[in-house]
Amino acid sequence: MLVTWAYHFRDSWMEKIDSRARWIFSLLFLFTISMYWDIRFLLFFFALAWIWYSLARVSFKETRRAWLMVSILLFSMIIVNTILTGGGAAGVVQGPGHPLFSLQFTLPLVSWVINYTLTVERAWFALCQLIRVLAISAIFIIIPFSMDPRLYGITFRRLGLSDRFAFSMELAFRYVPTLARDFAVTLDAQKARGYEIERVEGGLLTQVRRIAPLIIPVTIGSILGGEDMVNAMDLRCFGLRMRTWIQVLTYHWFDYAIIAFGVFLLLATIILRYVYHIGAFWVPPGIIPG
Amino acid sequence: MKQKLWQFGTREVVFAAIGAALYGVLSWATNFLQIPAAGNVSVRPAVAIPMFFGIVFGPIVGFISGFLGNIMGDLLSGYGFWFWWDLGNGIQAMVPGLIFLSIVNYRDFGSIIRAEVMVVLGIIAGMGLASLSEMWVSGIDFATTVAVNFLPAFITNAVWGLILVPILMVAYSAVQSRSGR
Repeated sequence: MLVTWAYHFRDSWMEKIDSRARWIFSLLFLFTISMYWDIRFLLFFFALAWIWYSLARVSFKETRRAWLMVSILLFSMIIVNTILTGGGAAGVVQGPGHPLFSLQFTLPLVSWVINYTLTVERAWFALCQLIRVLAISAIFIIIPFSMDPRLYGITFRRLGLSDRFAFSMELAFRYVPTLARDFAVTLDAQKARGYEIERVEGGLLTQVRRIAPLIIPVTIGSILGGEDMVNAMDLRCFGLRMRTWIQVLTYHWFDYAIIAFGVFLLLATIILRYVYHIGAFWVPPGIIPG
Repeated sequence: MKQKLWQFGTREVVFAAIGAALYGVLSWATNFLQIPAAGNVSVRPAVAIPMFFGIVFGPIVGFISGFLGNIMGDLLSGYGFWFWWDLGNGIQAMVPGLIFLSIVNYRDFGSIIRAEVMVVLGIIAGMGLASLSEMWVSGIDFATTVAVNFLPAFITNAVWGLILVPILMVAYSAVQSRSGR
């Protein structure tokens, strides 16, 4: 069984940016955009996110699975929350609103009368949600496709995490092909004993009973193998001194510029939102009927 | 050697890495399992692994296995990076690890019951945090996030956790003596 990471070298602008700067900017972006509900600001961040996305030179075909998942999440959240239930939208949409569409019907058997009204404000809020979530998704979906997995450990180490945590991350990436191989070997061994993975159907409990013969051996086998790794590392005095890393991360001027821009966005947002009260939910007057 | 609840030595580093890699690979490998008539919600039997690692190796190992494992599973599956759900998975596995020191015999009925209770509490804490974060990120209300995010995650994780964690504990007790630690 072949397990591969989604990343491959593309010689893109995104790969030239220091991985630390990328993480810092992405997280600053997330915190900043989450403070806005005004579509004028959201559209600015939406455009910024897609410029960032384009720097990675990742094709839609490669990311379509991720976008499919985002679409399904968006559909369920926006349709259920804003359109169908008209839930308070976390207190953002105030007041009864201006009706856009009304529906009334009676449920048979119970004779309940259902009155449903979609307002302009709720529909507009749904649009704002869509733009916000798409912008955040664009920033984070490209990370696995445009960041070398070998850099994750040293990136978090240089961002201030402990040596042991960063090494644990590095070791986890190194273990993936090994465990994938063990999984394939266990699957073949169980198949030789009549186990049919293709027939893992039925209710949840039935699935549990069928999956257990695969998961238990792989897990316990990995733990036993891990003891050898622990002994090997202890014999080499792991943890007694600061660890060195084979990869080197170097900031360039554009990395500092990106970080500074992210910090500027966050600070400006805090001032706009909490000092001048700008950026809250806004509906264009032109679309409100009457 | 006396153990501490929050210790993070060589052993914990290695098993955190193994737990994370196991969770990532097995999540990716079981993506074909879907909850019937529930859209694109996949069932993750591997969710029991970080919780089990937390119980056996401590809360830090549990947290890293869940947090990093979820990141790796999403990376392998091409789903991107979802910080709050990664954090939620980490907390979900860390909470069962809080009874790590109190379990000596992994086959003992009382120990298994305590582990089951902590598994449920961990799922509530972890998936609750991740679901609540959607209110802030996506702007949905509490009722919607409970119905759309929390309940599906809680129910599926609870079923896998409550069934697989005891099985893993019993299997581990059989090999525990081989580790010599």
